[in-house]
Amino acid sequence: MRVPLAWLREYVDLPADAQAVADLLASIGFPVDGIRERPAISGVVIGRIAALAKHPGADRLQVGEIETGGGTRLTIATAATNVAAGQTIAVATIGAQLPHVKIERRKMRGIESEGMMISAEELGLPSEWFEDGIMQFESDLALGADVVERFRLADAVLDVDVTNNRADAMSMVGLARELAAVQKTALRLPDLANPGDRDDGAEAPIVSIESASCVRFVAQRFTGVRVGRSPAWMRIRLALAGQRPIDNVVDISNYVMLETGQPLHFYDDARIPNHHLIVRDAKRGEKLVTLDGVERELDPSALVVADEREAQALAGIKGGGASQVSASTSAVLLESANFDGARIRRTSAALGIRTDASTRHEKTLPLILSDYGAARAARLLVQSGATPFAPHAFGAPVAAMPAISFKTSEVKRLLGFDLAAGEIRGHMEALGFGVVQESAERLLLAPPPWRRDVTLGADVVEELARMAGYERIKSEIPQVFSHDIESRGYRLERTIARTLSALGYREIISCALHGARVFENLKRAGFTPSSPAVEVRNPLSEDQRYLRYALGPGLLEHFARSGEPARVFEIGHVFSDGDHPSEISTLAFGYSVAPVEEPPWRDTAFLRIMGDSEALVYALTGQRDYEVTPDVRNGLHPGKTAVLLVDGREIANVGQVDPRMTDAFGVAMPVYVCSISLDNIPDYRTPQYAPPSKYPSSYRDLALVCELGVRANQIERSIARVLGPLCVRVRVFDEYRGPGVGEGRKSITVRVTLQRADATITDAEADTAVAKVLSALGDELGATVRK
Amino acid sequence: MSELANQLSELRGRFDAAVADAPDADTLEAVRVAFLGRSGEVTLLRRGIGQLPAAQRPAAGKTINAAVEVLEAQLLEAERRLATGNFDAELAKRIDVTFPAIAPLRGSIHPIRRVMDDICAYFERHGFAVVLGPEIEPDYYNFDALNIPPDHPARDGFDSFFLTDHLLLRPHTSPMQIRTMQQHKPPVAVVTPGKCYRRDAVDARHLYQFHQCEGLLVAQGIHFGHLKGMLTGMCRELFGPDQQVRFRPSYFPFTEPSAEVDTTCPVCHGLGGTCRMCGGSGWIELGGAGMVHPNVLSEMKYDAGAVSGWAFGFGLERLAIVRYDVDDIRRFVENEPDFLQQLA
Repeated sequence: MRVPLAWLREYVDLPADAQAVADLLASIGFPVDGIRERPAISGVVIGRIAALAKHPGADRLQVGEIETGGGTRLTIATAATNVAAGQTIAVATIGAQLPHVKIERRKMRGIESEGMMISAEELGLPSEWFEDGIMQFESDLALGADVVERFRLADAVLDVDVTNNRADAMSMVGLARELAAVQKTALRLPDLANPGDRDDGAEAPIVSIESASCVRFVAQRFTGVRVGRSPAWMRIRLALAGQRPIDNVVDISNYVMLETGQPLHFYDDARIPNHHLIVRDAKRGEKLVTLDGVERELDPSALVVADEREAQALAGIKGGGASQVSASTSAVLLESANFDGARIRRTSAALGIRTDASTRHEKTLPLILSDYGAARAARLLVQSGATPFAPHAFGAPVAAMPAISFKTSEVKRLLGFDLAAGEIRGHMEALGFGVVQESAERLLLAPPPWRRDVTLGADVVEELARMAGYERIKSEIPQVFSHDIESRGYRLERTIARTLSALGYREIISCALHGARVFENLKRAGFTPSSPAVEVRNPLSEDQRYLRYALGPGLLEHFARSGEPARVFEIGHVFSDGDHPSEISTLAFGYSVAPVEEPPWRDTAFLRIMGDSEALVYALTGQRDYEVTPDVRNGLHPGKTAVLLVDGREIANVGQVDPRMTDAFGVAMPVYVCSISLDNIPDYRTPQYAPPSKYPSSYRDLALVCELGVRANQIERSIARVLGPLCVRVRVFDEYRGPGVGEGRKSITVRVTLQRADATITDAEADTAVAKVLSALGDELGATVRK
Repeated sequence: MSELANQLSELRGRFDAAVADAPDADTLEAVRVAFLGRSGEVTLLRRGIGQLPAAQRPAAGKTINAAVEVLEAQLLEAERRLATGNFDAELAKRIDVTFPAIAPLRGSIHPIRRVMDDICAYFERHGFAVVLGPEIEPDYYNFDALNIPPDHPARDGFDSFFLTDHLLLRPHTSPMQIRTMQQHKPPVAVVTPGKCYRRDAVDARHLYQFHQCEGLLVAQGIHFGHLKGMLTGMCRELFGPDQQVRFRPSYFPFTEPSAEVDTTCPVCHGLGGTCRMCGGSGWIELGGAGMVHPNVLSEMKYDAGAVSGWAFGFGLERLAIVRYDVDDIRRFVENEPDFLQQLA
């Protein structure tokens, strides 16, 4: 909210320095986003055009004789066309400083001009909001009065943030009240008594409230209204506050809204049959042309203020219809109403209209403001010459807020420091609360009618904290509490990140939302995601339409961007849509790597990522007895994919990304990935130490020939089973295919390490063991010793 | 006398030559035996003392003993020389120790996770658990349970991606606070790091996907000062030992009283001036905090009169920007190798 300091100072004494006021506001919860300093202007005074004549030497200039008080007459030439004798204007005298120019004595086509008649722009006001040409002032202003001083044009304007809970503070009076409370200084309220006391008898307005969303409605009629320009002081204030001056009726409604926080609406009273307004749900398909000229089709979710025939305003949002105030209006009907905030907010959001009125109403205003608003509007209308009738209130009366029984120990309990009873009382009274009863432990507090937001002890504590100052809160370290909440998921992620970074992978974080391109790439490679993607209803752009179904595409896009070989991992959620959207926490890691010359039955890059996968699974589970089996997975190379199982449960799948997929994503190198669903990882089992045998071991290398389909781990497992505890290690370490082995067969070399726990193993024992192994391998896997 | 001296002198000449010529330890041992052994030359000389007149014998004995000491020392020296002589060539090598080192294969943890880990480590040390949770959450957990009823203006601050009428991508990690309180009775002490989503247009300061870390402590006797203490400690852990924390009053529906939390700008150390990080205020905004609203505690079936608690929520990207002096928030999702490497 734009707050001209000059306006605020009318209600409360404040430090001269704008920054000091800003700091004060921030200290009580109203942060100031910016301070708009005013341009340095001096030497501008009020003058009256005593005489005006055509410039003898220039068609487009006029020369005025300007009285500026004390008998002074200045001769000033102007090019403006809106000037006339008798007008009260502002003139910059010789030596005056204006925003962009310093006024000096100069000749205009032969006539010495002793100053300059000025427009709003020269006062640092938005020229498009004021009359074209010289700004007009009221004739009751003293000639020679300093304009900057008179209208406090030098005082800065603050951009103040008012939080959603403070509907009462979205106004000059509201903020002034807070500042007076914290400073413990006087608050000078404007006159809030309604001057309307004339009975309008049979002509009295009637408001039929047909919806619970209208809580209270103050209606008041005025006659003798003359629509015209507002006085300069009001136009200047509105402009400084960021409101464009329009005419005196509109300006009064805006001025009162800014001053008290109560939005108002004026209807042309002559166009409201029987002075009868109805607040009701809109009819389905009902049309209303709002003040911005847009015709809107409504449905019953919208609340309207209607006359007996049709809607005249979108309640609490925007006026419209045939009852708009126009130049010919001479009687107005004022609406100062209170609506349910949620209802206003829904309609405002549904229709896409946000106004100064709706942003206030949607916070649900205090009822009392409807009376204040009407009173202030009436006062200002009277000043502009109108005659008021008495106000008529409909709906709920302004009731006292429920009293709060406040335990003074709550201050210490929630803030950690104590406030003396006297200090509590002082702060609360400064904020307008009444202290109804007081005991050693409790205060019975009556909130003022404008504070709907203070209902609980905690609310009172916040008020006290604001007034006492948040800097009173002292740092303290709480004791450690015992509880049984686990950190399992987080610790798993932490171990993954540490292990993989130690293995040379870089962690990346990519966007979980993506566009259709991922699916196009997939389709080009001949794949479809295994389950439907989760779709976002309201993305900001099409590249945020879907939630990722896997981490792989993100990795591929990263590899495509980096161009060079890279090793990365990502931990994140992946999403799928079955009966309802669901998600799983997933890890993917992998690398892109320059291909090397290798026979088609060997892939070192695969073995490396399998090695990393095994190392990670060990770090996460503490287990080494996992099983690897070949598998086929969507998007992975059909001959280079495996799953890793622990206790028969799939933990990881590992493989080369299908080259068609890699290509579709624009990656020029082979890519190897491992992905793991974090939910599948079993609890960590602490490894237990088994002391090695004290006796020397012995090993035998067996060169075997077998069918191509026999896998290395089948041979290892078979040997381990046959030998039992005698075999402490068995490891295939070479594979060969080609001449000397035979078509459809391969040679596998395996080292078997034998050891006894109780004695040195003899050669004879080892040879017997090997014979057993060879016999079993022959029977089970058809493997024979290579000749 | 002089005859003994002459004999010793002549003997030493031969001994020196033999020791110098000995190519290995075995030869040297043979030299020792020949001169100092049980029937070596020096031993024989010593036996000759008996032939001398009695008056000359003590002096002759001393002379021989002195000579033996010298010879034994020479043998030891020669032994050492033979033993270390094999390393002369190695020790003569000279390299350029400033030649570029061979870098290990090195990975890295993302700067966001590093900040997250440091925060979590700090809170874990103080007895907090770290809980993670779903990113798709019903509106109840995101809003209603947090004292933000439908059509409350505060919902404006959480412009969210909706998947269905009531399911959305969480705009904050507060749902995990609610889930934790539903499952556990006080005391509850958790931090909840994780990804969040809001419909923000992407620029140097905004991402639509970001990370938050929230904290929650509910127990008997917990007050606002405990929050200030913990957050001061956290900031010192992240930014340095001189960090200060200040609270400014604010409003959130789920806390009362509420505060905005600032910490000393670590770039200008609170001096302000023309600091580009803090814009000259000397303070960095961390995020929101406050005492858990009694309505939230009651919704969790906690006794709001008996237990109290606080909560805070900070953006991790924001903390990382300040900690690593990063110029643009988008770098955290671009994953440029250079960026990740510099902050590794």
